[in-house]
This record gives sequence, C-alpha cells and structure tokens, in this order.
Amino acid sequence: MAESETVTATKPSVRRFVKLGIFLISHSNYVSFIGLVSGIVALLLLPILAKNTYVSENALMPGSANNMLSTQHVSRATEFVNDLTDSVSESHEIIAQYMSALDAEVTYHKFHPQLNQFNPLHFFTSPDSGIVSKNISCSSLGINIAGIIRAPRGDGKESIVLVTPYNPRKVGPGEALSLGIAYSVFSLLSRVTWLAKDVIWLVADSQYGEYSAVDAWLREYHAPAFREADIDNSETCNAINEVGQNPSSDRKLYSGFRRAGTMAAALVIKVAEQGNRHEDILNIYPEASNGQMPNLDLINIVNYLGAHKRGLRVKVNKMFSLFGSRWLNTLGGILESLGQIARSLNPQWKFGISATEYVEGAATLASSLYLQGLGVPTGPHGAFRDYQVDAITLEISPKVSPYKMISHSRNEFILRGGRLIEGVIRSINNLLEKFHQSFFLYLLTSSSKFVSVGVYMIPFALLVAPLPIVAGSLYSEASKSSSSSEVVVKYKSWKWLNSARKVLAIHLWGAVVSLLPYFLYQIPNSTPTTNFTVWGILSASSLLILYFVLGSPIFESATSQPEKGEWASLKSVTIATTFIGLSLMSVINFATAEIGALLIVPICLMAQPLKLDIRSRSLRTLLRATCNLALGLVVFPPVAYFLIKGAFEDTYGIKVDEYWNWVESLWTWNSATYLYVGIVHLPCWALCIHILFHPC
Amino acid sequence: MSTKTEATVKMNKVQWFWTWVIGSVILRLILVYFPQNLNLSSRPEVSTPLTSIRRLAEGYWLKQSSMSPYAGSMYHGSPLLLTLLGPLTVTKIEGQPDHLLCSLVFVMADVVTAMLICAAGKKLQVAYGSSLESVGLHQLSEDSDILPSGDFAALVYLWNPFTIVACVGLSTSVIENLMIVLTLYGACARVAPLAAFGWVIATHLSLYPAILIIPVVLLFGYGPDAPPRKLFRQRKNLELDDSTSSDRNCLEDESVNEKRMLKVFSWRPVVLLLFWVLLWSSYVLILCGIYVQQHGGLQEMFKRSYGFILTIQDLSPNIGVFWYFFAEVFDFFRSFFLIVFHGNILLLIVPLAIRLNHRPCFLAFVYIVLSSILKSYPSVGDSALYLGLLGLFAYELKDMQYSFFLFSGFVGVSLFSPVMHNLWIWRGTGNANFYFATAIGYALLQIILVIESVSTMLNHDRMLTKLSTAKLQNVKS
Repeated sequence: MAESETVTATKPSVRRFVKLGIFLISHSNYVSFIGLVSGIVALLLLPILAKNTYVSENALMPGSANNMLSTQHVSRATEFVNDLTDSVSESHEIIAQYMSALDAEVTYHKFHPQLNQFNPLHFFTSPDSGIVSKNISCSSLGINIAGIIRAPRGDGKESIVLVTPYNPRKVGPGEALSLGIAYSVFSLLSRVTWLAKDVIWLVADSQYGEYSAVDAWLREYHAPAFREADIDNSETCNAINEVGQNPSSDRKLYSGFRRAGTMAAALVIKVAEQGNRHEDILNIYPEASNGQMPNLDLINIVNYLGAHKRGLRVKVNKMFSLFGSRWLNTLGGILESLGQIARSLNPQWKFGISATEYVEGAATLASSLYLQGLGVPTGPHGAFRDYQVDAITLEISPKVSPYKMISHSRNEFILRGGRLIEGVIRSINNLLEKFHQSFFLYLLTSSSKFVSVGVYMIPFALLVAPLPIVAGSLYSEASKSSSSSEVVVKYKSWKWLNSARKVLAIHLWGAVVSLLPYFLYQIPNSTPTTNFTVWGILSASSLLILYFVLGSPIFESATSQPEKGEWASLKSVTIATTFIGLSLMSVINFATAEIGALLIVPICLMAQPLKLDIRSRSLRTLLRATCNLALGLVVFPPVAYFLIKGAFEDTYGIKVDEYWNWVESLWTWNSATYLYVGIVHLPCWALCIHILFHPC
Repeated sequence: MSTKTEATVKMNKVQWFWTWVIGSVILRLILVYFPQNLNLSSRPEVSTPLTSIRRLAEGYWLKQSSMSPYAGSMYHGSPLLLTLLGPLTVTKIEGQPDHLLCSLVFVMADVVTAMLICAAGKKLQVAYGSSLESVGLHQLSEDSDILPSGDFAALVYLWNPFTIVACVGLSTSVIENLMIVLTLYGACARVAPLAAFGWVIATHLSLYPAILIIPVVLLFGYGPDAPPRKLFRQRKNLELDDSTSSDRNCLEDESVNEKRMLKVFSWRPVVLLLFWVLLWSSYVLILCGIYVQQHGGLQEMFKRSYGFILTIQDLSPNIGVFWYFFAEVFDFFRSFFLIVFHGNILLLIVPLAIRLNHRPCFLAFVYIVLSSILKSYPSVGDSALYLGLLGLFAYELKDMQYSFFLFSGFVGVSLFSPVMHNLWIWRGTGNANFYFATAIGYALLQIILVIESVSTMLNHDRMLTKLSTAKLQNVKS
C-alpha cells in the first residue's frame, strides 16, 4: 500500500518534466520564434543591464597613498627625452645608460620577428618556444632592452612589467614621451622602500611590430629556445652584436637573459601622436587574442585613478558609426520613456537611462563585441595574456600634439602620466596573489560599466535554445513518418545515422576548406585577389566532388531512396551540430558565438525545401521561401563579412581582396574565429542551402 | 542463380569489411607520425596515472637503474607491462618519432581486439539464431542475419575516435581492452584457458575487470546470450505434451537435448574455468614476485597498484567524477566515502546478474559501462571498449530510444572537455568547476546509455515472450 502511494507520488513529477519537454517540442514553431525575438531584444537591452564597476580585490586600495613622483623625477625624465630625440643612432646605448644609472639590471634581448605561421590549434596547446627558422638575415634583428629593479622588500618571485614600444630607427615625439613617463616612474621606483615586487621595464623594439617584439621577449622569458645562440654567433651579425658587447664600462649591463619571477600584471604605455585639443584622454585597450580580457580589477584601478585622481577622461573603443544611426537613437528614446513611466509607477525601479547614454553604451558594447569577436589583440598587451598575465595598453592622448608641446606642458604631461602609472603600480604592488577576485569574462559598455558573463549569456542562450527543441521535434517527426522499405522500418531509431554521415562529410569539407590557405601561401608572388579566386574555386570544386562521391551508389546503401522525411532528419542533425558548434564557440570566444548565432540561427530554424513551399502556393509559404533565399545569401561568409563591415565601420564598397586580407589577418593571429567560420559556419550554411534545394 | 548472387554479395561484404579495417590502420599510422603536434599522450582524457606511457617509461627507467619501479609515486601499473613495453619505450629509430615501436604494438593490439570482437560477434549471432529457432521464432532469426553484428561492432571499435585517440595517445588501456575482449571471446568460444588468461591479466592490469568473473561464469554455465529461459521451458512443455502420445524410444538422446534446451547450469566447464583461473593467477603472481623481489615484494606491488586505485591518491583532474569529490572531502571522512563510492559498483552487480543472467555477454557490457563510470581513473579508452561492444547487440538494441541524443551528447562532451580544460589550466579564466561540469555531463550520458540499453534489451525480451506465447497458443488451438 505504502509502495503504491510513493509510486503515485513520484510519478507526476517525472511526467511533468517529460510533459514540459513534449509541450516545447510540439510547439517548436512558437518556441523558436519567441526565442529568436527575445534573444535579440535581450541583446539590445544589455546596455541597460550593465552594472557599475567596482574594485573587488581589497588588497589593491587604489589611490590610498600619496603620490611620491615629484618634479625632480620629471625633470630628469625630460632630460632623458631630450637626449633621446637629439641623438638618432645610439638610442639603445642612451636608454641602457639611463637605466643602469638608476641601479637597474639592464640586458639586451635580440630577437627575430616571428614569421607568419598557421597554427590553428594554438588555442589548445600550451605556449611553446617557437620554431626558429633557419634562413634569417641579420638585418631583421630586433633588440629589446629590459631593465629590472629588484624590490627591497621582495623575494624576487614576482614582478610588474612596464612596456614602452619604440622604433629605434625613428623615435617620434609621442614614443619619446611615453619613454619619458616610464623613465620618471622607473627612477622613482628605484629609490622607494615600499616596493615588494620587482619592476621590469621593457623597451620593446617596434620596428617589426610592437606585438612581435613583446611576444619574442615573453617567449624567451617563459620558454627559452636554445637555438638562438647559433644565430648570434654567426659572423655576419657582428655589427649588431656589438651593441650588446661593448658595455662601455657600465656596472650593471648583464649579458644573457635575466628574469624576475612571475608577472603579476603588465602595463603597456603609449602616447598618441595627435593631440585632441579638448582635454587629456586615456584610452584603454584590453582585448587580447581570442577575445580574452584581463581581469576587470586591472581596468577598474586604471579607470579609478585616471578619472578620479588624475582627472583624465578615460575611454574605451566605440563604434562611432552607430552614433548616427537613427533606429538606435529611436530605440534609446523609447527605452528612456519606458524607464520614466516605470519610475513614475514605482520610484524604486531605476532601470531607465537616458537616450544618449544608451546609444553610447550600445556603441561601446558593439565595439567590445566586434573586437573580441575578431580574436585579434588590440595591442602588444595581447602577448601577455597567452602566459596568463593580465595586461592592458594605456594610450594617453594629450591636449596638445607632442610635436608642438612646449617644455612646461610637457613636464606637466609627464607628471600626470607618471603619477597615474605610479598609482597603478603601487596598487598592483599590494596584491597578495595574482588577480582572481574580479571578472575575466565580461563586455564593457563604458570604461566604468560592464556586463558580466551571467548577464550576457542570457541573450545567447535565448538565441540558441530553440535549436535543440527544433531538432528534437524534427527528429520525432522524421522517425514517425512511414517509410516504404522494411529494413528502414526495423532500424528506424537509427535512421538518423544516414543524415549524420552527410553532415560529417560536409564538416570535413569545411575543415579542408579552412586548411586550403596553408597551401595557397606556398604559391609565390600571388595577389590577394588571385588567392581568393583560387580558394573559392578549389572549395567549390571539392564540394562538387564530395557531392558526387556521396551520391554515388557505393556510399548510398541500396535501400535508401530519397524519402519523404529525409530532409527533416538531415535538418535535425544539422541543427544539432550547429548547436554544439555555437555552444562550444561561446566558451572559447563568446563574441564570435553571439555574432555567429545572430547570423546562422534564423536560417537554421527556417530552412525548408523550396519545392515544398512552392508546391503549396500559399502566401505564407512563398514568403518563407523568399526569406530563406535572402537569408541563404546573407549568411554566406564573404557576404556576411561585408554586411557586418558595412554595419560597423561605415565603409561601403566591396573589394574581394579585402576579404582575403581579413581572413589572412585572422589566420596569422591564430584566431579561433577563423576555425569557427571554416568548420562551423560554412558547413552549416552549405547544409542549409542543401536543404533548401532538396529534391523531396 | 540466386545462390551465386548471394555469394558475390557476401564476397563484396567481406572485401568491404577489410577495406575499412585497413583504412583504420592507415589512419592510425598517419596520426602516429604527428605526435608532437597532437601531444595526445599528455592529455588528461587519454592518459591517467594508470595508463600513461610516460609514467611507464619512468617506471622502466627506475627499474633499469635498479630502483623500485614504484619509487616516487610515478608508476602504478603492472610489472609485466614494464617487461613487455618498457624496452620499447627506450629504443628509438633514427629519424622516426619517439615511441614508434610502442605505437605499432598498440595499433596491432587494436586490430587484434577488433578481430576478437568480430569473432565473438559471429559466435554470438550463430548461437542466438539457433536458440531463436529452437524457441520457434524462425522469422526473427532470419532477420537477425541481415546485420552482421560482429563485423559492425569491430568496425565501430576501430573507427571510434575514442579508440583512435587512446591508441595514438599510447594509453595502456588499449592492452587492458584487448585482455577484456579476449576474456569475452574465450568465454563465447568456451575455451577455458583463454578466458581465464584474459580475465586474470585484465584484473591484474586494472582491477575493475574482476567483476567480469560473473558474466564469464554464466557464459560457461549457460552458454551465450539467448532469449529468456522461460520460453524454452514453455516450448519444452509443449513438446512433452506432444510426445506423451507418441512413443518414447529415444529417451537418452532426448535427455541430452533436453539439458541443452532447458539451459541448465552446467558445472563442469565452470570448474574447469576456475581451475585455469587459479593456475594463471598463481603464474602471474610468481612472475611478478620474481620481478619485484628486491623492491619490497608482492606486498609493495599490491599497495602501489591496487592500493593506488582503491584509495584514489592522485587527484589530478580526469574525466571521472571522483577527483573533484575527494579533493573537497574532509580527511576524516575520506575512508567512509571511499567505501561508499566503491560500494556503488558492488551494489549493482548482484541485481543485474539476476535480471540479465540469460544474456551474460550483455551483462558483461553493462558491467563494463558501470565500472567505467565509477572508476577512480577513467579514460576515453574505457568508453571506446563499451561503445565497441554495444555494436554486438545492434540487432537487439535496434529500437533504442534517444540514440540521436546520446550521439550528439558524446560528440558535444568530447569537444567541450578539452576546451574547458584549456580554459581552466592554460588561460586561467575558468576554474575547476568548468571542467568538472563536462565530467558530470559525461557521467550522465553514460548513465542514460546504460539505462536505455538495459531497458531496450528487456523490452526486446518481452517482445520475444509475447511472440512465442502467441505462437504456442496458435499451435495449441
């Protein structure tokens, strides 16, 4: 008796769950429509849902100590800047001399800029010592200078890194100023007693790109390659070797490479060459490769010190083209009035923001999504993230252009910048462990507002949630539909295997297409346009070959004629793989997945054979057919690229070589977006087109 | 005419089978040549503390420098593997990738495993067909001939990405799988020495196959998988009713037949099996004893291998669920939870054995899935084995539900797991929960797989009973 009671008690709850699933699956059309619309709406609401940033780690205590950087340090820094700008040829020696005069350990680091290598799975592997190619001419040798101050209170196991990129061939006034700021801070830090972490000042040789110089130094720091010695000793390189080998009786010029423990954080300091006339602006660039961001606390302290202590205007990247867009402004207005209505109903509800604020937040959010989605780092700080070091680039653009700066305003500027850097370093110096308290996964809507992972996942989840439901409903439909041959009836629950095989083949084709550029690179003297055409032709022909091979009787089992429900099961498998691919990408690089989902989810949900639609000849089906065709065109990767570019960057006009260059840049930066486009997006598009033209 | 076409179809099928086998070997050999790029042997999914080839090489090195191979908590496997594979880890051929010889051995082992699965499948199919006929379901037995489940299972095993990864990643679970399959084949073919050898070595290598003794004993006692025994009895009763009216000349002949028909547990092969088990295990123990004589003896070996498995000392992340739990648990509850967790497997053994005793091979499959869920150091090699064995029951499980869901789930989890691991270990933006989430998802999938397959199998039995009783009633009326 008791048993039967418990059975009846437990059964309804189980059934309710199953019932909910069945309910969702049977109403998949409505569910997918609601999911899609609410996903887009939630994405548009993100600027409102953004929270104010706060310093989460207590140990940081930004701005609690008085600044110690004085005019004395600044005057020495200006001296240094003047020396540097006056003498063009011997900038290395000057920097090294000034550094060692501050009792720093100075070393030269010679490196060869890395050649473009395609390493698509770089993401999955640990950072390794790169392979040094054999035939490197000495002319392409770069020299980084690293000065290390040992902390009086430290144990030499932790360090803070300052990076100032500069071009020794042509030291511009902006670069000289950034060196000056770093020097002023460095000279202060060499005397202070509170320093608990060693400070490394890396003067990165940016003549072959800022990123590659910093990257080469970091690689040497973390994973030294022992082959480089051979290159240094070769006779042809003597001229450059001399730089490192006549120490001119300096006490602290060391040979070899010196280290200072694990890096707590890194700051890249830059000064913009153009003035902006209104006020001093601090631009923060946080995006590293594959949309990785530094810990939010690092941005917080820079923002706090910059905005509140130093009176700089702190900015992050924005999409300026969005400011003019009418629909966004209208939307902002609507949301503002909605917020006002809500406040009039209940003063506790404070979700309304003004229209301009909304537009600004949306523009910043869009740029944040775009830059993260590209997967290309926005500055040399990106190299640090590969070694789990939090780093940002601070670009200070002064009121007056550095070319026209008079000495007084220059001193003022160095003092201001130096004090900012000093404050940040002092905060980081307080850290007990590496940054972990605050967020790593976030999108910025302004320098002091952010959307955390828990919030921005909602629009994405709403977008992709219909996929498994529709896949389930199609699958159950396909397995219900009666089929003619007996074998299929018997193995009906495994019928999807046939479709799965096709989907797998198409995805393999996608992998082949994304590997093709590797071979195209071997062709000498080819222009982007020819490369692109060859790529397109090869991909199309391989798809055709695959089509014929798959269609041939060897692979098609004898019993499977094109059946009624075949396209349905094919679509359900396609949707399931799209779902897996998108969710996977959302973990690797959220922004790519979000943009990709916006593009691919509608067509995945709507795709239906055109033949069926045209046969029924009602207005609804014809509309759907046209929608499908339009979406099928839009989702094709090059078209999608130009559309996104047009939407975000305000440049119209389509050039084929532009697309190739974009692909190439993704490729050389080892962006996961490239793999996403090749292995998830393109095959899904091809399958959707296949379903559209399915002969059912 | 028709026989000729049938023969050519059969020839085609055989050819087709061998092409796929050779294709899988070629794929493995290609992958073996990119060990640096793939770096599979250091992936946590592939190499656990028990199956890692690097640890084996370390153990061999320690032994060569006349230290205990178990010194320093590096190696935890069997001494026999050290003597077999150890020399291969140090021999290098100029210009070839490291561990090439090892890889070749592992590829060979994979192929042999697949062949054994294939042979076992054929034996099972023949036995099943004849037992279906003896129950009177001729039509079904013809149906079951359509799909050569042995070939199918062998190809599933060979082309399963998990198997390929385990083989190329040089996980010694390949050898364990070979031994388990050898046991099953020996039991299906009723070769007591072979089955006993496989079981002893498999247990020696990884302990968990010890529970397979129950299906093996059932296989020897009752014979391979068959419809429920009740059906035979009903059939028998019917025939007896018929025969009461007829003469009873051939009584002796019938009694033998009766025994086979009724599927009575026959003790003699079981005793033979147990004798061989005793023989082989003492032989293995003596060999091991000689090998570790100077380094603490057998006691040390048991402590470092079985003790290591049972007490879960290594908490480095893997695709199982134990590491996370035991990293969290308080020290004074540790032994309690160890007993609880290991008890889980033992708890399930008896009920399953009672319910599925007429299908010992399927029972073995269920046990393997269960132990790979509840193992202390699971790897993808374990799932490779049971997914291969699943193919053996393709006919019985043809109506399995959620097959598509399970397939997508396995694909999703096997892609998510390395990404989450990367996020946690290399990028530092995730944490242990991210990776553990995929481990839970994986465990759930396996549970759904085992529940679904068992319930489908029971449904299949019900269907057989229904058909058979319907037929009997037809005959009677």
